[in-house]
Amino acid sequence: MTVLSVRHLNKTYPAFKLEDVSFTLEPGKITGFIGRNGAGKSTTLNSLFNFVHPDSGEISFFGMDFAGHELEIKQRIGFVSSGVNYYANKKLKTISRVTSSFYNNWDQAAYEKYLAMFHLDENKTPAQLSAGMKVKFALALALSHNADLLILDEPTSGLDPVSREDLLEVFMDLCAQGKTILFSTHITSDLDKCADNIIYIKNGRLIADCSVSDFEQSYRIASFDSAEAMREYQGISRGQRRTRKGCTALISAADAQTPGLKLSPADLESIMIHIEKEAE
Amino acid sequence: MTRLLKKEFALAMHPITPVMLLLAAMVVIPNYPYVVIFFYISMAVFFTCLLGRENNDIVYSLNLPVSKSDIVKARFGFTVIVELLQLALMIPFALLNRQLIPDGNQAGMDANIALFGLGLMIYGLFNLIFFVSYYRNVDKVGVAFIKTSVLIFIVAGLDVFSTYAIPFVRDCLDTPDPEFLSAKLLFLAAGIIVFIALTALSRRISIRSFERLDLH
Repeated sequence: MTVLSVRHLNKTYPAFKLEDVSFTLEPGKITGFIGRNGAGKSTTLNSLFNFVHPDSGEISFFGMDFAGHELEIKQRIGFVSSGVNYYANKKLKTISRVTSSFYNNWDQAAYEKYLAMFHLDENKTPAQLSAGMKVKFALALALSHNADLLILDEPTSGLDPVSREDLLEVFMDLCAQGKTILFSTHITSDLDKCADNIIYIKNGRLIADCSVSDFEQSYRIASFDSAEAMREYQGISRGQRRTRKGCTALISAADAQTPGLKLSPADLESIMIHIEKEAE
Repeated sequence: MTRLLKKEFALAMHPITPVMLLLAAMVVIPNYPYVVIFFYISMAVFFTCLLGRENNDIVYSLNLPVSKSDIVKARFGFTVIVELLQLALMIPFALLNRQLIPDGNQAGMDANIALFGLGLMIYGLFNLIFFVSYYRNVDKVGVAFIKTSVLIFIVAGLDVFSTYAIPFVRDCLDTPDPEFLSAKLLFLAAGIIVFIALTALSRRISIRSFERLDLH
């Protein structure tokens, strides 16, 4: 059974269009959702819960249509966002007490375990927490109602590298316990570390939906001494990125045998930058 | 629904609300337009919605396993509770007013049964104008409040004016209790009907607008 299935999602705004977005999430995997700011990540995520009303498309969680099973589905989902700061001046214990009352499967022992694990003091308010601790608190709430699917909207933005690393380890532990994670971010290095699959959205359309390794292996980065040298390979190279020693371009793995190319493996960030540069 | 109502009081309510409730005691002030007291509760509801915008109250609520319509119903429930609580708190002070100021109020309606009817009508109007505007765009709380404030002050002006210029109000409604008791009780009943009808209408329109709203 798929945890989340999105089929032919469309939404038109005056200045932006989400076009025919379809993907599914595999259970027990971390799926990274990448794209530039304004590419349609938030619109897609907001459409999942009907916060934004799609013009057309079908969305189902755990094999159930969202429309008829909203409350049942929400019991099994945790949504965590870094940018959102709920009730900044209320104590964490007040927020958790109210939140817990809504969930049938609230596990107080698990909540206390996560508080201790994340070093959260319940007598503090969100305003007194750092960005990383806020995400951890939101995560503790989501995990304590035994959510099967965690949807994380840029959970690592604004965090220092060590906090990010800590959080990624938590995600990987959760994944090992069978939780499914959809992780929207533009910090692609985080996904290199922990994601199994990737969904890449550009200008409202999906341009990739596959495993991270398949995605990375389908490209190479070619280095050139100058832009002139790169022009010889114009037919096969995508997006020009300046470096200190010349420039680089993205090459499809199928073209990797072309003679004269100086190639290196491609990671998510370099693929994304070259693809986005190509569009400019 | 009970859980969402508890959430309204524990997380969403602006801390000024209890203070505004206590302003029900202002009904003992001599020669004061008592209808203004009802405006204070509308301010508490406005501040709660404003604070909710700053605290991401709607995003938090939407993530809970509740429907969008329940979120609207809970806010209406909260508002009706504080409005009725204010009226209840006003009763002992209105009785005290009768003892302290036997000559009645020269700046609008006396602190009598008809004032409670008028209060219910004002609450009903507030619930209609404020929430219909607010749930069309929850980010524009101020616009909803300006519309409501203008309306309440027009009503307050009419209140003072009518106690001088309209014979039925001046000679019958604006008199110390228990004079003209049946007329005042009828006016109170009219207040109850207006309050229920306008609040129910507003709730229906608000639920429909909020369902349609795209939230970012």
